[in-house]
Formats: sequence, structure tokens, C-alpha cells
Amino acid sequence: MSLLIQEMALQLDIATQCHEATPQLSAQQPFDLATAYRIQQAGIRLRQQRGERVVGLKLGFTSRAKMIQMGVDALIWGELTDAMQLADGGTLDLSRLIHPRVEPEIAFITACDIDRPLSLAEAGLALAGVAPALEIIDSRYRDFRFSLQDVVADNCSSARYVIGPLCAPQAALDNLGVVLRFDGRPVQIGSSAAILGQPLRALAEISRLLHQQERVLPAGSLILAGAATAAEALRPGLHVSVEVAGLGSCAFTTGEPT
Amino acid sequence: MSNSLNPAQHEAALQLRMAAEHGQPCAPVRSLLGELDVDAAYAVQTLNVQHALTQGRRLVGSKIGLTSRAVQQQLGVAQPDFGRLFADMAIADGEEIAIQRLLQPKVEAEIALVLGRDLPHEKHTLADLIGAVDYLLPAIEVVDSRIAGWDIRISDTIADNASSGLFVLGSRPVLLREVDVVGCGMVLERKGEPESVGGGAACLGNPLLAACWLADTLARRGDALKAGDIVLTGALGPMVPVRAGDVFTARIQGLGQVSARFATTQGEAA
Repeated sequence: MSLLIQEMALQLDIATQCHEATPQLSAQQPFDLATAYRIQQAGIRLRQQRGERVVGLKLGFTSRAKMIQMGVDALIWGELTDAMQLADGGTLDLSRLIHPRVEPEIAFITACDIDRPLSLAEAGLALAGVAPALEIIDSRYRDFRFSLQDVVADNCSSARYVIGPLCAPQAALDNLGVVLRFDGRPVQIGSSAAILGQPLRALAEISRLLHQQERVLPAGSLILAGAATAAEALRPGLHVSVEVAGLGSCAFTTGEPT
Repeated sequence: MSNSLNPAQHEAALQLRMAAEHGQPCAPVRSLLGELDVDAAYAVQTLNVQHALTQGRRLVGSKIGLTSRAVQQQLGVAQPDFGRLFADMAIADGEEIAIQRLLQPKVEAEIALVLGRDLPHEKHTLADLIGAVDYLLPAIEVVDSRIAGWDIRISDTIADNASSGLFVLGSRPVLLREVDVVGCGMVLERKGEPESVGGGAACLGNPLLAACWLADTLARRGDALKAGDIVLTGALGPMVPVRAGDVFTARIQGLGQVSARFATTQGEAA
């Protein structure tokens, strides 16, 4: 099995590096969720061998609608590396991606090691800061179609992320207005409440799941808490920005076609 | 407004009124009015508003509809519409709503403005509007359609008083300067589950812009907004269908919250 895990991780890694979509892994060989995370980890090891450093986690399926759609009752996570970061205001090279989409998010920086399940109250205290964020997702699967196991194996479609200016953790994060704009025009309007009703709940939830895995998330880790709206497909020549009421904004541009 | 309505418009007005009185939805009225004839549809709405006034109902304000781009595209229009609010449509926060008053209700969260000054001009600036707003309230609008199955086009909904039903207002007034009406987030929950999520920008990009449109439009029609009027500015997120027994809570960032509580059975509603 471990050989198969390596092979599947390699298949996704090649798809990433060649920015070419690949068939769903589960269609070739069914596997369970635990195996999906082992494939994800094998993929991260390939990135680490190239010098990338894990800096945090991204959480997925943090909306009830998405959980119901995918038939799950818990969120999923992927790993974020330093190489995935795009500077606020930077330019995203679309030619290195397959079919990228962008989602507005809330980002957390943790203040302490997260080594046990946190209550909602404790989750608020575990934060060093909060920031508006944009996540660029890019499923390595054809047509963005995948099973739960597929998407976990694919590191939850993570590709790039932009983090805005860090704010002190606020008392209330539960209903911050979120506007995603393309070239200054609103394309998605939502609220941080779309993230499990309250983004801190995503942190409490991941602390519980990490504890089950006997994993410690070190202080200073980045957590992308989940999407506040549906994703929007990217195209060349766009200025993409998110504004989170009370937190501020961040942005990037997509390069012109060459 | 002139009363020179043609027989088809009178027929449409009567069908809508009967549907409301008997609690029985009617067929679309667009075949009587023309699918896109906005003027004919407002003439029908006005006729039924006048009828309501003769019945002793009291006008307390207006609602703005079709403020989301998605809904405008769905109906093939590029502008909002309006309907009129009567005192008997107002529900207090926490008051139980007798669901049999409604045919096929849906709820949406909105920002309500209450005016402290008249808005008599044919063109208002945002400053005119800001100066005229006395206070804001979080609101849940219970929209309803007298047209069977919500099978509506623009003329159906306008004739049907912009698909208005009831409205629930929050109890704590908030000053406009305290709220970011464009950037605010909104979540409408049923039993604690977010059912509809959105924000201020979902309402024509700015709820005050929608209110300006209403003020200008009503003034041009000789029916200007006045001090004390309630304005429901438009949905901040998708509509949610209502079932008997549902309790919805809308939270709007900076505005607080408001709940709409629907009776479980006819018996409980009394």
C-alpha cells in the first residue's frame, strides 16, 4: 500500500508541477480517508524535499452546505507551505496553474502551540492575530471534480494564498462582511458567518481533529479558516481584492496572457 | 396617478386581491398586463393600494425589491422595484407570526431605514438621504407571492405589491454613523444554522443607493417619502422558504439582530 501511496502522491505532484489536470485517483483505486491523508502527507514530503517549509494549515468544507453536498460531517484540512504564499499586491502567474479559482477567507496566526482540543472560548485566546486573506485553489483533477478522498489526497486543492495585514484578534469575528471584487466590482458578497457560523469554530474543530492525530500545531502557525463565499474562476488581467469589514483588505493581480 | 385603467388591468388587480383575501394563489397576471409593462403593473399596484386605503389600512412606508444582481438577471430587468408597506404588515421582534396569513412565504434579511425628514425631490443626493435618515433597524422581510408557485416576471411582482408580505423590525434603533451599511456582514439562521449569508453590498452595491432610487422614483410619481416612513432597502442575501414552526434570526454586523417566529399550527397562532 505504501508504494501505491507514493505513486498516487507523485501523480498529483506531477500534475501540479506540469499544471496539467489528472484523472481522479479514487477512480483508479478506491481508498479511505485515512489513506487520503497519507497521500497528502507523501505529497507534502515531496515539496519539503524541494526545500518548501510547512507554515500552517488550510481548512476545507467549513460551510454546512458544502458538508452536506460532500456527505461529510467534519471539516478537512491541507498543508500550507511558504512557497504557496503570494505577497499582498503581488502578481499571480496563471500559466503555472491548471484552472485556478479564488475564495475570500479569514486567516489566523496562532499564539501558542495547539496540542489539545480547544473550546470556542479557548480558541479566541489561542490567536496572535487575524487577517483578511485570499486563497487560490486549483484542483489537480479534471474539471474540478473529485470525491472527498480525492480532494484530501490533493491537499484540499491548495495552490496559493495571500494574507493581508494582521490585526489584533477581535472580540467578534462571527459576522464580518466579506466582499470579493474583480477589477473593483463585487463578484461575491458574504460574511465570516459562512465559516461554520463563526470562524473560531473552525479553529476549535481543527484542534480536536489534530488531537486525534496526536499532532501539535506550533505557535505562529497560519490557519486559513475557510471560505466566506463560493469560489470564483480566475482569468488573465484581473485585479482581485477582498475586503473584510473591520479587518481590512488584501489583493493580487493575475498576469496578462503572454 | 390616473385612474384610466383598462379592463385587463382591473381584472389583474381583482385577481390579486381575491388571491390575498381567500388565501388562494392565482395564475400569473402578466398575460393581462404584458410581461415587461412596468407602468401597467404599477397602475395595478396603485389601484390595490387605493383599495386598501379605503378599507382603512394605514400606509407606513415602502419596500425595495429586485436589489440583487442575481434576481434582476433572473427576471431580465436592470432596475429595482418597489411596493408599499401597511401598518398591519408590521410584526414586532419576537412576536409570533400566524402562518395562515401567508400563502407561500419566504424570508430575507434587510436593513430598514426610518426617516426623520421628507424626501420630496426628483433627484436626491446621498447627503440628502443621509440627512433624512432618523435611525436604522435590522429587519426580516417576509415576502410572499399571490402568484401560484412564485411563477413571476417583472410585471407580476410589481402588480402584486412587489411580492410583499409582512415585515419584522428589530427593537433597537441604530444611528447611520454607527454602521458600515456597505461592508456589513449578514447571516440569517434557522435553529442556529446559517441558511442565508450575505452583506450590505449585495443590495445594489449599497443599501443607501437603493433608498435614493426609491426616494427619487416616488417623488417623480407624486408620492414622495415622508418623515416617519419605514423603508425596507432590499435583501442582503438569498431568500429562504418558510415552514410552519420556523424561527429565523437575522444578524447584521453593527445593527444587531431580529427574529421572525412562525407559529407551528393554526391553533398556536392566536
